[in-house]
Amino acid sequence: MSSATTEEVIDYSVTPPLVEGNPSLAKINDSIALPTERWPSKKYFAALSVTLTMLLIGVVALGYTLYYGIGMWGNNIPVGWAFDITNFVFWIGIGHAGTLISAILFLFRQRWRTGIARAAEAMTIFAVMCAGIFPLIHLGRPWYALFIIPVPNQHGLWVNWNSPLVWDVFAVSTYFTVSLMFWYIGLIPDLAMMRDRTTSKVKKMIYSILSLGWRHANRQWQHYEKVYVILAGLATPLVLSVHSIVSFDFAVSILPGWHTTIFPPYFVAGAIFSGFGMVLTVLIIIRKVFNLEYIITKDHLDKMAKVTLLTSMMVAYAYLMEPFIAWYSGSPFDWYTVVARATGHYAIGFWVMIACNVLIPQLLWSKKVRRNVAVLFVISLLINVGMWLERYIIIVTSLYRDFLPSSWHIYTPTIFDFGILIGVFGLFFTLVLLFSRTLPVVSMSELKGVTEGAHPHHNFGAGHE
Amino acid sequence: MSDSTKQNSEKGRYYWKSLKELHDDPSLAEAKANEFMSGVTDDFKLSSLSDVSRRKFLALLAASAAFAASGCSTYESKGEIIPYNKEPRGVIPGIPNYYASTCSGCKHACGTLITTQTGRPIKINGNNEHPVNKGKLCPRGEASILGLYDPERLRQPLRNTGHGFVPARWDNSNGAVIKALNAAASGGKEIAVVTKTVLSPTAKKVLDEFAAKYPTTKFYSYELVTDVNRNSAWKKCYGTDQYPLISWDKAKFILALEADFLAKDGNMVEQMRMYASTRNNENLKDFSRLVVAEAGMSLTGMNADTRLKLRPEEQSNFVMSLLNELIVKRNLSRFALDKEIASQLGSVSLEDFAKRNNIERSVLDNMVSYILKSKNAAIVYAGHRLPEPVHIAVNLLNEVIGGTALYRTDQARVQLLPYSTPQDFEGLISRMNSGKVGVVIHYETNPVFHFAPDFGYKEAMVRVPTSVTLGKWENETSVWSSWVMPINHDLESWNDFKNRTGLYSLQQPVIYPLYTTRQKEAIVLTWTTGSDDAYHDTMYHEYLKNRWQNEVYSDLKPAVDPKMFWYSALEDGVVTYDEKPEASGNFNVEAFKSVTPPPMPEGFSIMLDESYAIGDGEFANNGWLQELPQPVTKAVWDNYASISDATAKELGVDYNDIIEVRIGDRSQKLPVYVQPGMADKVVCVDLGYGRTKAGKVGTDVGFDTNVLLSKKPSLSQWLYTGGEAVKKAGSYLIVTTMEHDFISEPITRDMPFTRDIIHEGTVEEYEQNPRFIQQETAIDKPTTIYKKFEYEGVKWGMSIDLNKCTGCSACVISCEVENNTPVVGKDQVKVSREMAWLRIDRYYTGSVAEPMISFQPMLCQQCDDAPCENVCPVAATTHSPDGLNMMVYNRCIGTRYCSNNCPYKVRRFNFFNYRYKFDGGYYAREPVEMVNNPEVTVRSRGVMEKCTFCIQRIMFGRQEAQQNGKPFTGAGIVTACQEACPANAITFGNYLDSSQEIAKLRDHPLGYYVLEELDTRPNVTYLAKLRNI
Repeated sequence: MSSATTEEVIDYSVTPPLVEGNPSLAKINDSIALPTERWPSKKYFAALSVTLTMLLIGVVALGYTLYYGIGMWGNNIPVGWAFDITNFVFWIGIGHAGTLISAILFLFRQRWRTGIARAAEAMTIFAVMCAGIFPLIHLGRPWYALFIIPVPNQHGLWVNWNSPLVWDVFAVSTYFTVSLMFWYIGLIPDLAMMRDRTTSKVKKMIYSILSLGWRHANRQWQHYEKVYVILAGLATPLVLSVHSIVSFDFAVSILPGWHTTIFPPYFVAGAIFSGFGMVLTVLIIIRKVFNLEYIITKDHLDKMAKVTLLTSMMVAYAYLMEPFIAWYSGSPFDWYTVVARATGHYAIGFWVMIACNVLIPQLLWSKKVRRNVAVLFVISLLINVGMWLERYIIIVTSLYRDFLPSSWHIYTPTIFDFGILIGVFGLFFTLVLLFSRTLPVVSMSELKGVTEGAHPHHNFGAGHE
Repeated sequence: MSDSTKQNSEKGRYYWKSLKELHDDPSLAEAKANEFMSGVTDDFKLSSLSDVSRRKFLALLAASAAFAASGCSTYESKGEIIPYNKEPRGVIPGIPNYYASTCSGCKHACGTLITTQTGRPIKINGNNEHPVNKGKLCPRGEASILGLYDPERLRQPLRNTGHGFVPARWDNSNGAVIKALNAAASGGKEIAVVTKTVLSPTAKKVLDEFAAKYPTTKFYSYELVTDVNRNSAWKKCYGTDQYPLISWDKAKFILALEADFLAKDGNMVEQMRMYASTRNNENLKDFSRLVVAEAGMSLTGMNADTRLKLRPEEQSNFVMSLLNELIVKRNLSRFALDKEIASQLGSVSLEDFAKRNNIERSVLDNMVSYILKSKNAAIVYAGHRLPEPVHIAVNLLNEVIGGTALYRTDQARVQLLPYSTPQDFEGLISRMNSGKVGVVIHYETNPVFHFAPDFGYKEAMVRVPTSVTLGKWENETSVWSSWVMPINHDLESWNDFKNRTGLYSLQQPVIYPLYTTRQKEAIVLTWTTGSDDAYHDTMYHEYLKNRWQNEVYSDLKPAVDPKMFWYSALEDGVVTYDEKPEASGNFNVEAFKSVTPPPMPEGFSIMLDESYAIGDGEFANNGWLQELPQPVTKAVWDNYASISDATAKELGVDYNDIIEVRIGDRSQKLPVYVQPGMADKVVCVDLGYGRTKAGKVGTDVGFDTNVLLSKKPSLSQWLYTGGEAVKKAGSYLIVTTMEHDFISEPITRDMPFTRDIIHEGTVEEYEQNPRFIQQETAIDKPTTIYKKFEYEGVKWGMSIDLNKCTGCSACVISCEVENNTPVVGKDQVKVSREMAWLRIDRYYTGSVAEPMISFQPMLCQQCDDAPCENVCPVAATTHSPDGLNMMVYNRCIGTRYCSNNCPYKVRRFNFFNYRYKFDGGYYAREPVEMVNNPEVTVRSRGVMEKCTFCIQRIMFGRQEAQQNGKPFTGAGIVTACQEACPANAITFGNYLDSSQEIAKLRDHPLGYYVLEELDTRPNVTYLAKLRNI
């Protein structure tokens, strides 16, 4: 059956196979590992040159910023934060889907996660790396960034634990560390496989070191799976905590539009929403380029679309709650922020955000849309746009119309703001491209466990199908 | 024993250095005799040295080097830079010295007190001893210190070669000028000296002596905007030359007709102080009422209790209608019997006037009854730009309402040299053109820029064989001159000033001239002597001292000896004595009878006035002033055409669109600023901008609107009727520090009131219920479950009385000078990155056509529960035990979170290293860094900064208390803004000390905090404004 045919009939009463076509174990190995073993195609280099150019633009823009100061950006007083923190929150949000898929779905025994978990986890790592740049470069004096870390020093100076920015440092670095470990532990059996497959001595040495002497032994598998569960348990609260803490950057302040108790759950839902949007974008490309349609099936896309729809509704609820509470509180400040968002200088951004995050995802109620790869791809892109705008709107529209009308001022981004925005997307996709050519984009070992007829390895003690 | 041993033994003991010496060895005696060989011990004579000796060569080398060095010595090469190995008397690093002097930034000559640190002046304040400005200074005077260190000041004389200027020596330049002067004098050609207002009697004497030496000399004096119309009207009415000073402090009713007496008309510092004293909420009985009738929006208009929109040509009618009302209708005053006057006033009436100008009759009636109520305490004051007939009518009006009682008789203005008339200048220019002028001297003036283009000054001037321009900077006139001579800055000069009766004000230098400049009076003195050799550094100083000893001392006959008199005068900076002004005669009714109504042509009225910040353009190269938000429009670095909203709609233009303003055949394209509250079909434009040769900072800032002036006055020299305004293509961005569109949106219009930013009421309300503000704010008072921090001993607080604050912005500049605030430039203000720690917020409420205005100086509120403090991750902003919100620049990493969380947005961020960023590092050049206050850190890029109540002054006071072993109460500590405020609206102190004024003001019934409901618990109390309506 050709995957291009759209008029397929789905029988939801039967669990569809997680891997289509009942491939042999060798075929799975081949289709996942081969791309890392062959010299990349011209298309790959074409793609890489695009992302590297974007990255270079960012490097140049950042170079100017570091040399002359962040005055190169459009930031001003009152709008002290703009693209910088927008990008930070956006990328942290993108980083949420990976851990959610690998940890929470794992604990909920959602076995369909297998096909997408590795790529999603890698995305998490890259996204958090991208995010991590911004707290550093947004500083007026980045060379003193160390002051924010509680290092005992002879001056007797300490950080201010009241400040959410200090909490951020810990939340984000913890999240990054745990995500990286989780990803790496998951990679070990596959790295061993790669080690065994490769003929290059150099690669063999690298894979040997990275696979930590994995022999696919039963005892190893038993320890491995325990560790995996433990890490999944550790990572799960982090999915909720990291974006809650990021949201405290805003919620702890007294600024109308920021000072809201709904922010932690709202930010977490938004993060998962945007994360799934980005996972969809990346996976739709990967499954097409690497011919992995039988592994990352339409059922996967369908399920991800459902999660996306759910989180879109949660975000929509938050969008409704904000004006309601602003009105209900009777605070003229809060209410004006709502009005300024919807009708002010940034109204277009606000309504595009509503369209992308609330209205367009409603299409996902339709099964046809969920299983139409092209439409889904467009929707996923729009979600990315919408969620980036959401952070921009929250940050900029709250700041540009704050308490005293005398200090109000419009914020306009400069080419350096856009340069860094382009650059960070360049960095992200460069990393994704490098990842796709050096490491297995789908977990081979796990995938074999969910092929038809395979006995699930890690599902010890749980129900059989 | 040798001689030396004898000498030793004579003292009682014999000291020997070796055994040979002890035993008197003859070889030693011989060696001793030869110790200094011949030619060495002898007198050093070059000629007696052998032909080519090493010593001769070295001697010649040294001598030639010394001659070479001394032959071309300058101040710099005299080696004056000596480190303080031994402290000079009276100079202790870190302890400032203060010198009384006088500001000559404008014709008002206020007394100054100059702060110097280790020999360099760093701040100019008002001199408390000076009876006119009483310790206060205007923004221009405050900022003029930057001019001293301006890197583009002229450093040596320049000679025009015909294709460019080359540096010249003083002796050569003076020699050439003296030759030209002699030639002109003997050839019967005129020597024209063009000066601004001559303020110094000694300088006047210098000029007179110059004229005596060169008899063909003629003096011409001008200012861009003067009060000649008011004075000539006065002369016609009362026979004396000078319009009297006014006792603003005794006025209960002021009607200002197009008179910006709080900003540009007269000495604003003195007038503001006197006016503000009548807005005292402790004395409601004498609370004055200010009515302003004007076309544009002036600072005075913004402070008005009632403001009438009135086109300038209607002013005459207004006064006539009022006269009709009072004299004819109400039969007031002796003039009611004069039939001629009655018939003259018969054609006008208040009804017609009200109807024609769309003014509510009740407003006028109310005003008239208030005038009658304030008998002998009401004054009508016409602006200096209004034509003579209006002034004559106003003089009569004051006679009728008893405004004459407010004319001061204790003191009057003095003008040493009358202003030249346009006819005088026309004569000069025609003589220049016909070659009858041999030398023209621009005595620190810039007529090429200032004169109306139809004079053709530049074309005439280039025909004069020798033209000399004296100035601190290059300007539009100097570039056409044959010689340019650099002169001393105020702070490097000696002088005396007399612009009032019974008052001398002295100027003394506080620093040695930085460059090879000379004081302009000394240059003229040199010319008078006829040889440059006569010049020496102290030439004018001695001249001044001599005149004081011989003339002033003998005139005043003080009870001390001359030396004592001179030094005490210098110390005080001011000498007051009894000198009654010339008594003026009775009102001459005939003068009034000649008054005819002005023509009322169709079309636009174009109103030109000096710039608030840069005056006539003299201060164009001063970044602080260019960046000072214009108090009314809040625009920086520009001039523009202000028009009313209705006129803008009619013309189809909006902010920043271009219109062409035309008066006859003169025109200029200008960007539009839509000014709420302006009269329709009126264009208001500031002069002084658009300079083409003003230095790097001031050149090409704004538009040259002097081209709209004409030698033939219309309504007056500065008010033109029958003009045009036409929409043109294009746009030009006017940068303001406050957004201007929120008055037009209904949701934002009343925000200042709905958001607890502004609380105000009327005098009547306050009389009936003194606690009305407290009742208004009671609902905002939040409660907290946290325990408050207990402050002990000292807790700083500030109070700002909005009844007194006029929005003049003197505090803003004072703060900038004190706290080393960088200039950022128009491009950075455009993106809201100006660095002033203190800003004056201006809120319009009501309608665009008739807005009400509220000012509010906004600075760090030093909140007890400061939102900025708990969000800083690195604890760079913390709280002090005396209640200050402090800022640790070294610790700041620049997250800007503090600013985001500050509800008052008073924190400023160094987005760049602005000293290097602005104009290619203009203010990083030598010697600008010398202007910095050494007590305040210069902030680097990436650091947040803000007001800390001048913590350096607090620390100074605390140190002194500690050194003297006294408990520190904080009494007597004055912040820079408070020091500058001409209206005395700012009070600062320790409010835990109940003896201090601030302690009372903290609990004042009119006191409130901005955004009180946020519970930030600020330490700045605002006293609500009371409107007297």
